[in-house]
Amino acid sequence: MKTNRSVSIPWHMIFIGIIIILTFPIIFAVGISFKPLEDAYNNALNFIPTQPTLENYETFFNSLNVVKIVSNTFIIATTVTLFKVFTSFLAAYAFVFFDFKGKNMLYFLLISTIFIPFSVTMIPNYLMISDLGLADSVWGVILPQLADAVGILLLRQSMKTIPISLIEVARLDNLGHPRIMKNIVLPLVKPAVTSTGIWFFILSWNEYVWPVLILKTVDHYTLPLALQMYISSEGGTNFTVAMAVAVITMIIPLTLYLLFQKYIIGTFASSGIK
Amino acid sequence: MKEIRFEHVYKSYGKTEVVTDLNLTIQKGERLILLGPSGCGKSTTLRMIAGLEDVSSGAIYMDQQKVNHLPSGKRNVAMVFQNYALYPHMNVIDNITYGLRVQKVPADEIKRRTEAALDMLQLKEYKDRLPKDLSGGQRQRVALARAVVKQGDYFLLDEPLSNLDAQLRVSARKELVKIHEMYKQTLVYVTHDQVEAMTVADRIALMYKGKLQMVDTPDNVYHRPANIFTATFIGSPPMNVFNVDVQPDSIRFTSQTLKLSPEWSQHIQQTGEKDLAFGIRPEHIDLSKIPTPNSLKGHIKFVENHGNHYGVYMDIEGNEWIAMSESKRWLPHETVYIKPRADKIHMFNQQTTDSIGYPKSLNNGE
Repeated sequence: MKTNRSVSIPWHMIFIGIIIILTFPIIFAVGISFKPLEDAYNNALNFIPTQPTLENYETFFNSLNVVKIVSNTFIIATTVTLFKVFTSFLAAYAFVFFDFKGKNMLYFLLISTIFIPFSVTMIPNYLMISDLGLADSVWGVILPQLADAVGILLLRQSMKTIPISLIEVARLDNLGHPRIMKNIVLPLVKPAVTSTGIWFFILSWNEYVWPVLILKTVDHYTLPLALQMYISSEGGTNFTVAMAVAVITMIIPLTLYLLFQKYIIGTFASSGIK
Repeated sequence: MKEIRFEHVYKSYGKTEVVTDLNLTIQKGERLILLGPSGCGKSTTLRMIAGLEDVSSGAIYMDQQKVNHLPSGKRNVAMVFQNYALYPHMNVIDNITYGLRVQKVPADEIKRRTEAALDMLQLKEYKDRLPKDLSGGQRQRVALARAVVKQGDYFLLDEPLSNLDAQLRVSARKELVKIHEMYKQTLVYVTHDQVEAMTVADRIALMYKGKLQMVDTPDNVYHRPANIFTATFIGSPPMNVFNVDVQPDSIRFTSQTLKLSPEWSQHIQQTGEKDLAFGIRPEHIDLSKIPTPNSLKGHIKFVENHGNHYGVYMDIEGNEWIAMSESKRWLPHETVYIKPRADKIHMFNQQTTDSIGYPKSLNNGE
């Protein structure tokens, strides 16, 4: 991407302001996570700990099976993300490149599910999961989240930019749909697939209400649930430990984002045309 | 190198009929141009051959086999799209060879065909580039190369040159004919450009509003148009066509009459047609500033400079006539006498708009 040097200084000031506002809580949290509790209370606005300590992290690691909790979170977020992206991709492909009766009606129906609040589906889903014997298991968390209308919407929009003639050329070469999807469509919508995937991953990684309904055993907990254990529990809020958990919770999505961000920028789907 | 045959083919989208009762045989190895204004059904016809559109009713045969339900991939068709449809994420060589690799053509065979195509289309130095780094003309050649290496029995082109500038179009046209002479597939080419059609075609199939108007050689389409639409669509500026009253040995415009040659009056009498339209191409009209025998009188409205000739627009009894002249001495508002060349005239039935044919003694008008 070309840098536009003519962007004026006032704009830069505004951007810098926004960045400060956005990064402030993160810096604040990281700082506190390395402070003893008294220091955190007394010098709340001093971001850099005067007596840095790892004791908050130690408390967390000693009181809970952190590896298990991180891996629970990871399994749920990864499985949910992969399935949502995969099913959204298939559905979007069908909605864009197939012609069938009632296509628009079906699409409209699917998209309208976006507007159904979670609290409406929560109880029926919970009953179903417990009937299936999946209560208190990560699979119970995963199962109702294998498809997502938002993903269909986003990928469909992206696939619509692919000229139909590309698909027709492939059909003339006797390519089947699986091959067209994998070798033609997927490379062209990769930025959309990646950003949709990251979006799903972060949502699932941070999800609280649904896992808290399903998961009872501490060993089955996810990171947001573990975080909750240090806030407003009977012994009062141990918020320095909570910040340490928050920092650990942040690291993995942040790393993933940094790894994949180059795919998010820019799309070149239509550049082979004319 | 197989024949394609349409039998009573109809195509409609909902209630709109885009192709009506198409009967057409495309001979093996010939270059057939589907010509017509936009929305005439020519592209749909081509896409039906490729299997990209269903046939609403009727049958299409390719190599004597009914193909209505044969999937595109099984028809052995190579197609060049108007937008070239190159895969944006593949470089030139991958774009050209991808289809072959999928179809498991042996690697040395792919290499042989690809090198031949790259050589012929002068693409060698660009073979590692992505489509976005190529010019329009280069992309068009890559699309052509990709279709050529497939060595299909049928070669379909959907307005392949319409995105090129005028000079490039002329050279690409020649290239295309050269390629076809080499491989001799059955070639069907869609265009709205009559110059392209005249220069490339073995035969032209002219379509209008979903109906086939005429199928014949470029010469016959030009000199022996089957109906008024063909007569006016082919040729630029278009043919002058006006309704006339037929008298025994002459035709009458609003008030002036033109004497017919004995051949023509005999021919008209034989056909027994009464309500006729008279047609003459602008280049077959002689102009004069002084009265000449058997001419019509009018005045010049304006003159268009075409470079190698002038288009003279005239008002003759309220009708606008166009004539071509190499001389620049025609000036607006002057009186002019026009004389259509007797052996170059056309006659059409006013109701059916069909040609009434030509006197036998005239050879095909060249």
